[in-house]
Amino acid sequence: MVEILFVIPFLTGIMAFFLNPSAGRPLLVITGALHLFLSVLLWMNRPEPIFSDYFAVTPEGLLSLLVISLLFFLISIYTTGYLAAAKIRSEKIFTGFMLLFLSTMTMVTLSDHIMVMWIAIEATTLASAPLIYTHRSKASLEATWKYVLICSVGIALALLGSVLISVAMDIGKVDAEVSFSALTNAAGQLDPKWLKAGFVFILVGYGTKMGLAPMHTWLPDAHSEAPSPASALLSGVLLNCAYLGIFKTNKIMCAAGLGTFSGTILMVFGIASILAAATFILKQTEYKRLLAYSSIENMGIIAFGTGVGGLAAYGAMICLIHHSLIKSSLFLTSGNILLGYGTRLIEKTGGLVRVMPKTFVAFFGGFAGISGFPPFGIFIGELLIIIGAFRSAQYVGAGFFILSLCVIFAGFANHVMKISFQDTNVTAQMDEKLSMVWPQYILLLTSLVLCIWIPDTLYQTINKAVFFMGGGF
Amino acid sequence: MIHPIDTALSLVILSALFSFASSRLPGLIKVLAFQGVAVSLVPLFIGHEMTSGGVSFTLTTMIIRGVIIPLSIYLVIKKVAIRREVEPIIGYHASLLAGLVLIVAATYGSHKFNIPSSTHPLLLPSAITLLITGIFLLMTRRNAIAMVLGYIMMENGIYLVGTTFSVRAHHIVEFGILLDVLAGVMIMAIILQNIKQTFDDVDTAHLRTLKE
Repeated sequence: MVEILFVIPFLTGIMAFFLNPSAGRPLLVITGALHLFLSVLLWMNRPEPIFSDYFAVTPEGLLSLLVISLLFFLISIYTTGYLAAAKIRSEKIFTGFMLLFLSTMTMVTLSDHIMVMWIAIEATTLASAPLIYTHRSKASLEATWKYVLICSVGIALALLGSVLISVAMDIGKVDAEVSFSALTNAAGQLDPKWLKAGFVFILVGYGTKMGLAPMHTWLPDAHSEAPSPASALLSGVLLNCAYLGIFKTNKIMCAAGLGTFSGTILMVFGIASILAAATFILKQTEYKRLLAYSSIENMGIIAFGTGVGGLAAYGAMICLIHHSLIKSSLFLTSGNILLGYGTRLIEKTGGLVRVMPKTFVAFFGGFAGISGFPPFGIFIGELLIIIGAFRSAQYVGAGFFILSLCVIFAGFANHVMKISFQDTNVTAQMDEKLSMVWPQYILLLTSLVLCIWIPDTLYQTINKAVFFMGGGF
Repeated sequence: MIHPIDTALSLVILSALFSFASSRLPGLIKVLAFQGVAVSLVPLFIGHEMTSGGVSFTLTTMIIRGVIIPLSIYLVIKKVAIRREVEPIIGYHASLLAGLVLIVAATYGSHKFNIPSSTHPLLLPSAITLLITGIFLLMTRRNAIAMVLGYIMMENGIYLVGTTFSVRAHHIVEFGILLDVLAGVMIMAIILQNIKQTFDDVDTAHLRTLKE
């Protein structure tokens, strides 16, 4: 009965198009709560899917699913306040596509068949495109166009990669479903040449969606033009979904003994993304784009960690979870700043600590978390990745990694200080409602708690997920 | 004896060549419709055993790839009359030369692959040609509509690659892929209309204000 998790938001999403806009907001929260409840049930019971050829409950899928559920529930609470304050013209379409977006992302986490995975990831693009175009401005039109075109073309390459992996299976005379679990089990029999070609195409394809440089060009535009709840979903969980496709393919490669090949490519893309983010963060003028580039940086960190393998792969999973929690909280906070100041430019903001004190707490806490201050989880994750890189003698990669992190920290801190403490005499154009600060606090607190205490089932699940990459302790 | 598949595929390759040099969008869309029909009919001829489910699926593919997708783009063009030609980044003559080189390279290159079930010598070259023609259009055209046409051509090419290797997923999965492509083209068509209404043009040079 696993499928019910994505069927419910799909149905409520369709419903939202026909309901009164005033009914849309509670529908969003109710669906979010129900989804979270079902995800927790799934963690506890681990039932079998009905269509077991296409869907499966995997450790990495479970991790992403729980993150999606929790984030969506909190974001839906925030959205009720946001929609009241922001006055979006077509609210029905917005809520409807938010729910469809949730449905498609849930499908990504549960899919096991390599083509179903592709279908689900492409569907996330389609369901999220209208969200980016919510404001109907010239800039948002441009962002949507870039997003749909670049991502669709990228994902089309991933389809080619999936076809090539099926060819590898045909040549190796493996007679099974083309599912990730079957492929991982039979990895040794697959034809290595075609498998390698397939991996490269899948990495480039899903890497486009994940925001790895140099295919990241759509990401800052889309994330800054979308309304803040949608940006939080895009950055917090959509990037994870694309990563899941790469992660599962990398698992096949590791099981087939081609881990060095795939690891090297992942590391190169990872370092390229971190370097690209470092360059652009320094001279950024808009705070939402700043956050978007920070997402590119974190995706680079995760790709690098996965490529290194071993302890670093465990660190990458830690970074993945914490990045989702902290970055989505930051994007929600940026929505408050946008409503409060009415501008996206850093230089026109300032004095956040005085103008919007509650928002400031969330903003500064988020900054501390995302830039890797101890004791937040990103710090632990990055530390594990660095240790892992030194252990496997990746000195050059580790050097670039540490250097870029320092640059990014300096650039990020500079902008955050300006926003928080610069002298201004503006007054906030919105009052800080509880529903628009508490979701961020809860997200940050969850991240903080997870640094001190990781529940045992969570720890076991992460270990199981990175088992094939020689991961874990 | 010349197999009907070979005839159709030769025409597909020629049509790809045509799209390198053509500046007229209605012509390009007709070419695309032909490619869609040809590409979706190929499985009928190389299939080993055709079940009734297989045949009806092939026909559905043909209707979506050959009729609905080109038609949706055609409707956009009709609704928003394009007055001005948008110059491509690489000129039409140079494009044509690139296309010729590409076809030769694709034919030569596909002999290097060890195809497991090599049936028709033209299948893989035409698949690669379509794929790269699509990418070429995407990269070198500044006209937003031509870029969408490039994307569709690329999708057709990928479908043909799948057919070449007789990778047969279940029909329900293939249908899901098709539905995604269709929905994607529909969304692109809506965006194209919005671009035309907002900027009164389809030149993507207008879409370069967001930077860094």
